[in-house]
Amino acid sequence: MTTRIEMKDVHKRYGANEVIRGVNLKVEDNEVVVLIGPSGAGKSTVLRMMNGLETTTAGEILIDGVDIARPHVDIDKVRENIGMVFQHFNLFPNMSVQKNVTLAPVELGLMSQADADAAALRMLDTVGLADKAEAMPKTLSGGQKQRVAIARALAMQPDIMLFDEPTSALDPEMVGDVLEVMRKLAAQGMTMVIVTHEMGFAKEVADRVVFFEGGEINETGTPEQVFDHPQSPRLQSFLQKVLQA
Amino acid sequence: MNVKRWGIMGLLLAIVAILVVGKPGEPVQAAEKTYTVGTDVTFAPFEFTDKNNRQVGIDIDILKAIAKVEGFKLNIKATSFNGAVQELQAGQIDGVMAGMSITKERKEMFNFSDPYFKSGVVMAVAKNSKIKGFADLRGKRVAIKTGTAAGAYANSIKKKYGFTTVTFDDSNNVYQDVIAGNSAACFEDKPVIQYAIATGLDLRITKMKLADPNNYGIAVQKSDPEFLATLNRGLKKLRQTGEYDRIITRYLGNGSQKEQTEKAKAAGSTDHSFGTLLKQNWGTLMSGLQETLALTLVGIICATIVGVLMGLLGVVPSRWAQGTATTFIYLFRGLPLMVLALFIYTGVPMVIGTKIPAFVAGIITLTLNEGAYTAAFVKGGIGAVDKGQMEAARSLGLPWGRAMRRVILPQGIKIMIPSFINQFIITLKDTSILSILGLLELTQTGKIIIARNMQGFKIWAMVALIYLIIITLLTWLSNWVQRKVQA
Repeated sequence: MTTRIEMKDVHKRYGANEVIRGVNLKVEDNEVVVLIGPSGAGKSTVLRMMNGLETTTAGEILIDGVDIARPHVDIDKVRENIGMVFQHFNLFPNMSVQKNVTLAPVELGLMSQADADAAALRMLDTVGLADKAEAMPKTLSGGQKQRVAIARALAMQPDIMLFDEPTSALDPEMVGDVLEVMRKLAAQGMTMVIVTHEMGFAKEVADRVVFFEGGEINETGTPEQVFDHPQSPRLQSFLQKVLQA
Repeated sequence: MNVKRWGIMGLLLAIVAILVVGKPGEPVQAAEKTYTVGTDVTFAPFEFTDKNNRQVGIDIDILKAIAKVEGFKLNIKATSFNGAVQELQAGQIDGVMAGMSITKERKEMFNFSDPYFKSGVVMAVAKNSKIKGFADLRGKRVAIKTGTAAGAYANSIKKKYGFTTVTFDDSNNVYQDVIAGNSAACFEDKPVIQYAIATGLDLRITKMKLADPNNYGIAVQKSDPEFLATLNRGLKKLRQTGEYDRIITRYLGNGSQKEQTEKAKAAGSTDHSFGTLLKQNWGTLMSGLQETLALTLVGIICATIVGVLMGLLGVVPSRWAQGTATTFIYLFRGLPLMVLALFIYTGVPMVIGTKIPAFVAGIITLTLNEGAYTAAFVKGGIGAVDKGQMEAARSLGLPWGRAMRRVILPQGIKIMIPSFINQFIITLKDTSILSILGLLELTQTGKIIIARNMQGFKIWAMVALIYLIIITLLTWLSNWVQRKVQA
């Protein structure tokens, strides 16, 4: 197995406030890692550090061996390989669905517009939205928007995908469609890091679950270990609260 | 940025360059030197515009005659007395001939030609005024004109007689202040007010004997003895040939009141109905409008380019870039437009030693001031685009610049469009402030016409109407563009 992402003693500080306090985390090829934890625990911040959307105060973040926490690293090149999906979709509202999907590969000279259009239609087909290619984002439902956002990220043909609470902003009946797409990706062997509150989904698709608490990793293990035999009292009380709800 | 976009940018810059550089450039012939001489807008009978809107007057005619006998090209620029003196100081022009008294202070600053007219200071009051002497002025106000010998005289005695002074930029305002009763009297150079009264001004000259007679001369820069010699040689020739006397007689006649009244009747039209005034001044107003539109158009283009660039600099993730933008906005949004205009036009040339044509100075002023406002709302408009848009674009691997151009700017521009329209309208209105540079735009044109016919209400109404019409058209055009873009 090859290590795709490796965080070594990563810290992040805002002035005196340390929000990430020495995180060590490895993600192997084809692995699906789910980050859970209470709000403000630092899981989203850690995820966003993995493609340089958040700066790092100290430590190393190696993506395929390249430390992206160093200044002057070609972050754009690294990002071409890492797709990211956001809680609020962040579709470009001034472009059609198809244009959203083809923008990056065409703009970066990876594909001609014609090739990208064809690829976009295939990509939209895999997320079940082939008929929405010409639609503008504002006409879509939340679940449809998120699936377009996934298609947009996939259009760059990344082999790592980061998901930042992809279903948190969705109506409950929309959640299933999005999770279905993610399930498919996991089955295809995509390396994925997912921040989510969907514990059932985490249990089902995760190879490993990481529990964050107070800017640190509190406990980590297989879904069975974490959900069925939690060790730390923090994790136990967290699971109690979440699963009761 | 692709080639096509650069092409369009280049084309725009070229147009601007042609407009800016092409404007003041008269063909210069190697053999004939061109001298620019500044003068006042109205200081009849020395300089004023006749009913055909030609610049005439004793100063103008003498200058033209000298130019003819000495063989140089003459460019007469009417700003205001004060403006002309400042321009001469700044080296923007070569001389000032504006009924300018030769005084000790002025001699320290400029060289003066031989005297060409002997004048004196008089006090004038309203026709029904009871004021007879200085003693009656105690506690009252006296109107004077900036930089005149009469004004200096009034200031020198105001403490002794206990009156205050109020200063105006042109004679017309001085007279109106007395007629309106705001000031009890005015001090003015004798021939000027004599002529004005003869042509219908409702004031009366008191019999007071005032300051010693003073001599008028043409001021030139100390560093320009060649022009001084030329002027003196020319003056001498005019006196020898009798041309000088002919010019003086043309305006002052034999000095009798009757003859002057006749002259005035011949020079000015007496029909002051709105329609007649409009017809008479249509050409002048339209040429003023043309200049206003030229200033507005070039100003908008330059200010938009600079403003957008500065606004963009303000969002570049670099402390240096943001600092530059913030300073630019702070500085030029903070300076009053008129101060900036005068600073650039009469201040900067003193330091850099090169003339800046008034049109160019006006455009630079607009570019900096309107550009600062533009930069502020461009920066704000970009900031108003959801932060997640940039994150999404960057996470796809787009570099910052491309993410900005393809994703953020198209959304930001929609937010900015109303601000742009607003700024265009403000720019059009702000060009009126540039009249201070003597640019013959619509407002300055209005001033000049009024200085001649004293029809302030009607002429300003016309000027206001023209501004309103243009602004209405501009608003319609803008709304149409807005609908097209946001559809």
